[in-house]
Amino acid sequence: MTTLDTTAVPGAVRSVAAVAEDGNRARLGRMLQHGGWFVAPFLLLYALFVLVPILRGLWLSLTDANITGEGASFVGLDNYREALGDPLMWESLGHSAYFTLLVVPCIVVAAFLLAMLAHHIEHAKWLWRLCFFAPFLLPSAVVGNMWRWMFNPDTGLIDHIFGLESAWLTQKSTAMTAVVIATLWWTVGFSFLLYLAALQNIPPHLYEAAALDGANAWHRMIRITLPMLRNITGLVVALQILASLQVFDQVVVMYEFGPGPEQSTRTLVQYTLEQGFTSYRVGYASAISILFFLIIAIVALGRMWLLRKREEGTR
Amino acid sequence: MSAGVGVRKSWSPSQIILTVVGAAVSAVMTAPLVWTLFTSFKSEAEAVAVPVRWLPKDWTAQAWKNIFETGNITNWFVNSLVVSICVTFVVVLVSALAGYGFARTEFRGKNALLGLVMAGLMISPAVLGVPLFTTVQSMGMIDTYWGMILPQCAPAAMVYILYKFFQGIPREVEEAAFIDGAGRWRIFFTIVLPLSRPSLSAVGIFTFIASWNNFLWPYMATNNPDLMTMPNGIATVMNSYGIQWAQLMAGGLMAGLPLIIVFVFFQRQIVAGVAHTGLAGQ
Amino acid sequence: MGQPDLNRRQLLGGLGGLAVAGSLGFAAVGTGADALASGAGTRVRYWNLFSGGDGANMIAMLDAFRKANPGIDVKDSTLRWGNPYYTKLAMAAAGDRAPELGVTHLGRLAGFAPERLLDPFDREILARYGVREEDFDPALWKRSVIDGKLYALPLDIHPQLNFYRKDVCEKAGLIGDDGNLVPLTSTDDWFDALKAAKKAVRRGIQTVGVHASDQNFAWWFFMSFYAQAGGTYYDSGLTDVTFDTDKATEVLEFLRRHITDGYNVPGAPDAEHFINGGAFVWEGGWSVPVYSGPKLDYGATPLPALFGKPATQAESHAFVLPRQAERGGAGNEAAHRLAAHIVLHAVDWAGGGHIPAHLPTLSDPAYQKLRPQSEYASAMDHMALEPEAWFSGSSGTLSQRIGPVVVAANLGSVKPEAVARRMRRVLEGLLEMRNPMGGGAA
Repeated sequence: MTTLDTTAVPGAVRSVAAVAEDGNRARLGRMLQHGGWFVAPFLLLYALFVLVPILRGLWLSLTDANITGEGASFVGLDNYREALGDPLMWESLGHSAYFTLLVVPCIVVAAFLLAMLAHHIEHAKWLWRLCFFAPFLLPSAVVGNMWRWMFNPDTGLIDHIFGLESAWLTQKSTAMTAVVIATLWWTVGFSFLLYLAALQNIPPHLYEAAALDGANAWHRMIRITLPMLRNITGLVVALQILASLQVFDQVVVMYEFGPGPEQSTRTLVQYTLEQGFTSYRVGYASAISILFFLIIAIVALGRMWLLRKREEGTR
Repeated sequence: MSAGVGVRKSWSPSQIILTVVGAAVSAVMTAPLVWTLFTSFKSEAEAVAVPVRWLPKDWTAQAWKNIFETGNITNWFVNSLVVSICVTFVVVLVSALAGYGFARTEFRGKNALLGLVMAGLMISPAVLGVPLFTTVQSMGMIDTYWGMILPQCAPAAMVYILYKFFQGIPREVEEAAFIDGAGRWRIFFTIVLPLSRPSLSAVGIFTFIASWNNFLWPYMATNNPDLMTMPNGIATVMNSYGIQWAQLMAGGLMAGLPLIIVFVFFQRQIVAGVAHTGLAGQ
Repeated sequence: MGQPDLNRRQLLGGLGGLAVAGSLGFAAVGTGADALASGAGTRVRYWNLFSGGDGANMIAMLDAFRKANPGIDVKDSTLRWGNPYYTKLAMAAAGDRAPELGVTHLGRLAGFAPERLLDPFDREILARYGVREEDFDPALWKRSVIDGKLYALPLDIHPQLNFYRKDVCEKAGLIGDDGNLVPLTSTDDWFDALKAAKKAVRRGIQTVGVHASDQNFAWWFFMSFYAQAGGTYYDSGLTDVTFDTDKATEVLEFLRRHITDGYNVPGAPDAEHFINGGAFVWEGGWSVPVYSGPKLDYGATPLPALFGKPATQAESHAFVLPRQAERGGAGNEAAHRLAAHIVLHAVDWAGGGHIPAHLPTLSDPAYQKLRPQSEYASAMDHMALEPEAWFSGSSGTLSQRIGPVVVAANLGSVKPEAVARRMRRVLEGLLEMRNPMGGGAA
């Protein structure tokens, strides 16, 4: 974007201030010009609600702290040892990963198709955007309740329309699929908008040039549209993976804060909160949180690494 | 198929096909919402009647009347408004300041701090919920508005977006003011902020949506039903008479409709806002 | 009411200060609405988990209390049963924002860390409002006392019951001379009865509802029959697992047979099948209002003693005082008064199917007239209980871990023997887990 020439400014500040004022007032004025003041309010909030919790979580994970915050004692790495050998922890992580695996490709493909559709229809463009995006504006709790109702075998719309008699939410085989369907409906609008914006950013002259070369619609899509969308696809995939691994809201609402049929929908976030707030084992829950944080960090760093590699490749 | 190459609107065969497909997909996407709306106008008995009917046989606003008369829902609605507005205000202010500070001022340790903030992109209450809870608990803020609001006010992503944006403003704009003797703060408020209105509103809109719909943190931070926000109340507080679907759907629409109505009116800004905040992650 | 507004104003005022000074005045501003007393007399915030018939009864009882005590402003809130309720009650107490009065299942008491998250009742205040120890079932009272202090005031007992339709069972020849279900004392008796009943049941309706795929019910029904067979979970010191996998396998096979022999369809809406003509359904006593509403001709007994001695799973609702740093004064007194009022007026509560914990109520003619309540009052003498440990109690850690395992056997996804071994492992695993509240309670 722009150049990163940042050398001149501080000098300018100082000299201007020095000329204009003198004495204490000048010193106060200079002090207030310090860039630190601009970042201070954010950093304070950030320290209190991001950094302190991380450090606190690290410390708690080494103790047997409970929810009352009293009488914790140091237990070393016991919590981590327990977590790594805890089948329920692994199962919950597996459910979160399984959900991610199912939902991310669906969202990417659906969002792309919806965006292509909305981009190419020339009439009533606002209407398609509204219809495709509207579900994203609903709170997760509402989405969960709606779909619990939709999937009800007796009074629900899904079985009624498709003539099924499937108890979606009470059998293991369909439990996670139901969550995926609800999530797809709810969140596809966000990725849809990203794709739509990216489509609109493709310079029209590329298509014009291709048209002159006699490329048909299919070729234009393969040769221009798809390559131009590669970056946005990377972004959508990364954002969706990170968000899906942290899935919680709609699942617990759909399964009434329970673990789902035969414990098949308990996610890692849910298990952590159960340990912390239902079993009151804050120390153990913190250890799982830290492990989870590491997983998220690995995914995020992996994406950065991929991006950097690609940048080097294109240079 | 003319690939959006600025042709006049036409009803070519391909356009007709596309429009029909678009209408069909839209119908699928809106069906759950429409059905929710119809259910909220059924009586409780009809809501659970078998077989399922789309339209209410007898239209009644009983469910809507009940949620206003018996429930906490108006309370939650106001709580949601207060929390979302406060969060949006604080986030826009604080991240604009920080974005500007990181983009345009120099001080010792700036890059290290910036790196630290960027690391925060990976943190969310879903990941660090339990330690965040105990932190807020030790500040005595569980079951307070502050406890709900402040932890939502440190989004590294918003700082990053505005940081990127401020970097893109040409320096010349500010330099003229420097020569006139204006200080950083004046420049920030009188020159930079007005220039950034689109980005700020993008951040604001996105923050408001996220905060209005936030479930997890308010779920952890509030237990008192009087203090809950809409999503939290709907999910955890129950009507004493058991689950009543028509009322549940009416309550859900109460929580969801405001944003959808706002969207209808401010579509362009919201689309730009979401796309902008999302794309900034690139 | 009213306080949230006040707090909102404080907050908005404070926000300006925040923006200007960048300083966080939350400690002063954020004390919360609930700390302030309302102008309209003494306020008692009362959290419960009652919905359905219980919710309606509780509202009626609260209204009666309000009428009798106009100086007390009762603010009741109903949270979802299970995780949300217990999580929120514990977190409110831990965050020192607890309501004056709450409800818990008695089985949760040990795990609820009485000394940390609860305050004991003041027996003198209770006595002033007519609550006397000798009026309660001794076993129940004993479970409410920890370290000599009364942490819970028992309200009721709600056993698992075998609901039967008299019209259908009559046709199947299962009604005795007294007009009630004939005694069934072995699994053979039971399946013979089901076989006969099935013929009397319409096509498309299941014979018996056993909530096979519900992890809570599955565990409760297992507990009942396992206790009948004399099974135990731990030794008295909670040091060794005494779980008998053979007995457990027998019970699991018994439960599974309902499905394999076609008497039950897993996942079917059991209550509706019963209303529409099913012969039996197993459910908690709280379902009485559900079936009394449609005017069914039905009865209810404790789960039949098919494995030996009578036993049926039962839990109890009890009032508790969530921990408040500065408990006392008029609010505390009013909380005692409200709890006492409801416990002493348990006849109204018994309409919801619960057996009153307050014994004099049992001999109240108004209670004895209640049908089918009086038919199963004996269940309180044969309660199958979870071990008294920190992980026990309704929707507690034990039931959350072991319930789904039982369901796996019901649905046939895992063989009963394997499930029994798995249950044993769950029980062993729990012993190894540290009590988060640090000993004592177990």
